[in-house]
Amino acid sequence: MNTALNKTAVFICHCSGNISDHIDINFLKKTLKAEGISVLDYEYLCSSEGQALIKNKISEGNLNRIVIGSCTPSKHGTLFKKCIQEAGLNGAMLEIANLREHCSWVHPDKAEATEKALSLLRGKLRRLENSQPLGEIKVDITPKALVIGGGIAGITAAVNLADNGISTYLVEKESSIGGNMAKIGKVFSPDKLAEECAMCSLSPLMNEVVANPKITLFTWTEVESLSGSAGNFTVRLRKKPRYVHDNCTGCGRCSRACPVMVENEFNCGSVDKKAISLSFSQAVPKTYCIDPDKCLQINGETCGKCADVCKSGAIDFSQKEEIVELNVGAVIVATGFKEYDATQKPQYGYGIFKNVITQMELARMLGINGPTKGALIRPSDLRTASDIIRSSTDTFESDSSSEDSSDHSDDTGTPKRIVMIQCVGSRDEKEGGNRYCSRYCCMAALKHSSLIKRKYPGAEVTICYVDLRALGFYENYYRAVQDMGVRFVRGRPAEIVEKPDKSLVVRIEDTLNQKIKELSADLVVLSVAMIPSQGTRKIAGVLNLSQDESGFIKERHSKLKPVDSSLDGIFVCGTAQSPKDITDTIAQAGLASIRGRAFITDSPKALANEIPTFNPLLCTKCEECFKCPFNAISLNESDRIVVDPLVCIGCGYCTELCQNGAIQIASFTKTQLKAEIEGELKEGDLLGFVNSGIASLTCDNIGSSVLTYPSNVKLIKVPTSLVLDKDLLLHAFKHGASSILFLEDPPDSPKAEVIYPLTVSHFEKLKKEMGDLGNRLYFKKAYVPNTKGLAGAFTSLAREGEMIG
Amino acid sequence: MMPYVNEYDTPECKTLAETVKKSIRTPASLGLDRCIQCGACTASCPAARFTDYSPRQIVKKVLENDHSVLESEMIWSCFYCYSCNLRCPRNNSPATIVQVLRQMAINEGIGVEKLGYFVEIGEYLAENGASKVPGAGVKNMERDLGERWIKFKKDLESIRVELGLSSRDIRNTHGEVRAILEGTGYFEREKWIKTTIQEKSLHQLLKSQCMKEEDKSGDFGFENDRGYPGQAALII
Amino acid sequence: MKTIGDIPDRQLLLFKSCMVGQEYPGVETSTRYAFDRLGVDYIINDEQSCCTGIGHYTDIFEGLTTTAIAARNFAVARRCGHPNITCLCSTCYAINKEACEVLNTDNEIREKVNSIFREQGLEDLVYEKDDMNSKANFYHAVEILLSKASQIQAKKKFDFSGVKAAAHHACHYYKVKYLDVLGNPENPQLIDTIAIACGADMVRWYEDRTLTCGMGFAQLHLNKKTSLQVTKTKLDSLQKAGVELMIHMCPNCHIQYDRYQPVIEREFGAKYDTVHMNIAQFVALSMGADPYKVCGFQTHSVPLEGFLEKHGII
Repeated sequence: MNTALNKTAVFICHCSGNISDHIDINFLKKTLKAEGISVLDYEYLCSSEGQALIKNKISEGNLNRIVIGSCTPSKHGTLFKKCIQEAGLNGAMLEIANLREHCSWVHPDKAEATEKALSLLRGKLRRLENSQPLGEIKVDITPKALVIGGGIAGITAAVNLADNGISTYLVEKESSIGGNMAKIGKVFSPDKLAEECAMCSLSPLMNEVVANPKITLFTWTEVESLSGSAGNFTVRLRKKPRYVHDNCTGCGRCSRACPVMVENEFNCGSVDKKAISLSFSQAVPKTYCIDPDKCLQINGETCGKCADVCKSGAIDFSQKEEIVELNVGAVIVATGFKEYDATQKPQYGYGIFKNVITQMELARMLGINGPTKGALIRPSDLRTASDIIRSSTDTFESDSSSEDSSDHSDDTGTPKRIVMIQCVGSRDEKEGGNRYCSRYCCMAALKHSSLIKRKYPGAEVTICYVDLRALGFYENYYRAVQDMGVRFVRGRPAEIVEKPDKSLVVRIEDTLNQKIKELSADLVVLSVAMIPSQGTRKIAGVLNLSQDESGFIKERHSKLKPVDSSLDGIFVCGTAQSPKDITDTIAQAGLASIRGRAFITDSPKALANEIPTFNPLLCTKCEECFKCPFNAISLNESDRIVVDPLVCIGCGYCTELCQNGAIQIASFTKTQLKAEIEGELKEGDLLGFVNSGIASLTCDNIGSSVLTYPSNVKLIKVPTSLVLDKDLLLHAFKHGASSILFLEDPPDSPKAEVIYPLTVSHFEKLKKEMGDLGNRLYFKKAYVPNTKGLAGAFTSLAREGEMIG
Repeated sequence: MMPYVNEYDTPECKTLAETVKKSIRTPASLGLDRCIQCGACTASCPAARFTDYSPRQIVKKVLENDHSVLESEMIWSCFYCYSCNLRCPRNNSPATIVQVLRQMAINEGIGVEKLGYFVEIGEYLAENGASKVPGAGVKNMERDLGERWIKFKKDLESIRVELGLSSRDIRNTHGEVRAILEGTGYFEREKWIKTTIQEKSLHQLLKSQCMKEEDKSGDFGFENDRGYPGQAALII
Repeated sequence: MKTIGDIPDRQLLLFKSCMVGQEYPGVETSTRYAFDRLGVDYIINDEQSCCTGIGHYTDIFEGLTTTAIAARNFAVARRCGHPNITCLCSTCYAINKEACEVLNTDNEIREKVNSIFREQGLEDLVYEKDDMNSKANFYHAVEILLSKASQIQAKKKFDFSGVKAAAHHACHYYKVKYLDVLGNPENPQLIDTIAIACGADMVRWYEDRTLTCGMGFAQLHLNKKTSLQVTKTKLDSLQKAGVELMIHMCPNCHIQYDRYQPVIEREFGAKYDTVHMNIAQFVALSMGADPYKVCGFQTHSVPLEGFLEKHGII
């Protein structure tokens, strides 16, 4: 008898009859004791008394290896591990035989269950003989966070992180934070049934970003690259020169002196601002910025008028681009959306017919700081460009313009008939369209209809919709807008025609009365889809994040992990993740900041240690293992192959890649698996190798679903079937396996999407390699709810095995 | 009359929707089940603009498995211009669905008389490898288009020669086209169509004669009463 | 979406159109005239039969017959080493493309078609999967002309500057296989681009730009009134937009507009100043072709003499 085994003890839990009623525990005790192994049993091992018993026995008997026969390790594995660690043992010195879900609950015949329980315990005992203590892997996390994108999502995330005590960097590529919310002018309130000033809610938050000592703001700055690993990222930022120093007082003299007019991105492309300007009057930081493409001085002409009038000497034409490097523990991506390019739907004439505009353009027009100072005007009737510029620059200089500024503009240019078209580029399977619903547009159309009706009660507003989605309390607002006399036509317009007087005709079937209508309009407003912004597309590439088919950054699980990106330590929120409105964006940004904080504050982070180990004697540095799909394996500075424990999930693909057998997964070494097979298997058994994720959960669920299967089904847990090789399978057949089943997780999560195809091809490869025996290999996906199907598969394969036997 | 079996255009299925989806005439990716009744098809449809035709309603009837759509005059109004096919946001294709419905109607003998006008196209194709405007159409064109066109048609051969073309546009298909039409069962179907049209017009003739007598007798003229030789007049 | 770079100018089979041959033979000769002068490698093969389009869309031919006839024409194209089927008629284009897709993707139908060929002793017509590529082997002659637009511009002998024209793109070119259109199928500009190369002044966004010509296959014959109402709507829009020349790309539209414009004038009491032409005729004319010996304008119902005289061609 092995000396090591002398210090091994088996603990069996009765589980209050769940195990003891179906398994003859005395028989197990007698049999194992006869082999010189000490066995103890207890009513509830998971109780504090049960744990105390284990701890006492360890110290009394100087035990060093423990097998516990109990319920599934996914239930109390962590508890028991902690228990033996408290008694001074290494966590790897514990094995749990699943006597409940894999035995007593699924095998009604007591004799058969008892026999199987014995083999399960023997398997674990043999496995334990070959176990080595495993060191703990811990990593320190940098206690700082980076938020990318300074719209409402990024601002909310940054302020929340800072309020939670986390030092946070906020990076914005434009010269001011505020994003799209700063543009839209008004937000609707579903309880007050009114529209409120968006800037009035946003502006204090923007100022809070600057005021909060925990937040460092970088504007006019883009993220260049990200390196390092979760918890310890190094970020390179490119800070563009704004040619104005921070001592700018925001007085605006420079802008008044500047002779160059430029396109104003904030006003959807109106040429109504100067080459030195703030992007809007409430900009944060209130530091002016020079457009380097348009500035005369920068482009080699003599001007410098701005520098001449600046009293603080803030203007500096020699400013250069800067590279800034930051270390952060977690990253939140909040890079937002842009409007769908409606020129892709020429049937609606956007970009061709002047009086067809988008909701965002309408929002700017209705905004008192917009190109028409809030007046609704047919774009084809707009006065000369310079008139508009003059009037809008006036607005820029004085914030005091009142809501009534439009009174004088109620001339012939005010459109009387406004038609809005929903779902432009949304819910559209055609090329260039997007299949999703953009979520914001129904409410934006209602809001703008309401604003127009309040200001111009005589205006006729018609919304062409297919399904009006006013969810939850938003329905109240919808009703209020209906009461204002806005008309609704249910149908998707075919096309828009422009008449010689620049008025428009919208061709539509009113599907509710089945009449084809030609709606005359002075102004048509397209509710265009939300699509990922340039910044969102770019950052997904820079950070290597998974995206969905439309380019939004994909969350790890749509229900359970809605803000975790595909990479650990990187979170996503707002419209960078999916189309949504401000309310949802703020809620999601809050969650992202909490997830980020949780990730950062769990430091030093203890990581799973069941990851690859490299045998330097066998390793030839062929670098085959670098094909790791998660990029977890690399060469370090001292030319050693190392695995990043933060990234590695221990799937075992590298063990297949390594032709020299230099890689093994700790706790799942070939020797351990062989030993477990030897101990557990009997002639004619069906051996299932079960993925420790979903597949394992599904096997456990067979027990809790009161289903049964034959007791000659033996299940051994593996990280994934990728750790299996031909040698191991031959070993299993030699020790009695009639057939072998690979039970894998379905490709329903980002990681399983990567691993599943690998396991399929691995299985096919092994099947070929095994020749005739290959016919006795099976592969199955395990879905958690499909316990019945799995139990059925076990039963039929086990029966088939008996026939072969 | 026995319905005609046309297994590729109108595969026999449990529902109209299944037949439509399986038909050779509709694209494999047909978005029929995804229809949201938005009316983009009808709003884009030239027939809908000038008649009661509505592709949206046809799709609805197909989804409801309402076989009465086959008897509806509506399905014969489509221009096959495919505007609905281009516009549908769900990748549905009413223009091809209607083609299947017409074929189903034809199989049932419902709209079969509409083919009378065109049915000579097949024989002409087999003979010449080309198609032409059917004789009845030519007559109408002569009436509508008048002297200029009639003269042009007379001069066509010499004009073609002047342009450097063969005097007549006849293809040299080595009898292959005829063989193919035989192989696909086209001629069988053509025969069935012709017979069915004849039967129907005979029926129509009898019916109108009955109607005349009915007028005299003052009969109700209900379907069941047709064969009834008449009884004492029941005048309303 | 197709791009100009994908358009071949080699190994084209110029696919004869029945309606062109019988109504507007000048469209064929004009296309050849232009192709010959633009260095396009093409042949015409009279073994090629009708595509079945007229019968298919009047519900006479079933899908199987149409597919089998198409498979035969594909064999003709391959046998003569000119597999790039280039159609004069948009319905031929759509029918052939569709049939090719069916033959490549529907194994059951392909097998059925081949078994018919074998039964009829036509083994050499047997179609193997992917013998033709539904995207790469099918074109409309307009696409070839578009790919040569700059050459057309360089070689034009007559400049149509000042001619106010509008295009009618054929439904069966851009609405059937809308994923394979040059440019956005909601805004086809092939004819416009070519006509601009010839100097014409194009009216782009006229009302009813996307409306069908009104022929509607059976509609012209069985529901003539509706058919002509559609055509009238379009002609009215063109008249309103002051268009003097309407340019199309399909003999069916050509018949509808040119032959029936006088009928509509008579029956609806309208009056139109628009004349009609196929884009190939327009290109040929611009490149110096004879209006009668090449373009065959004597076959038109709306006389072109006024237009030709006005612009100094005759």
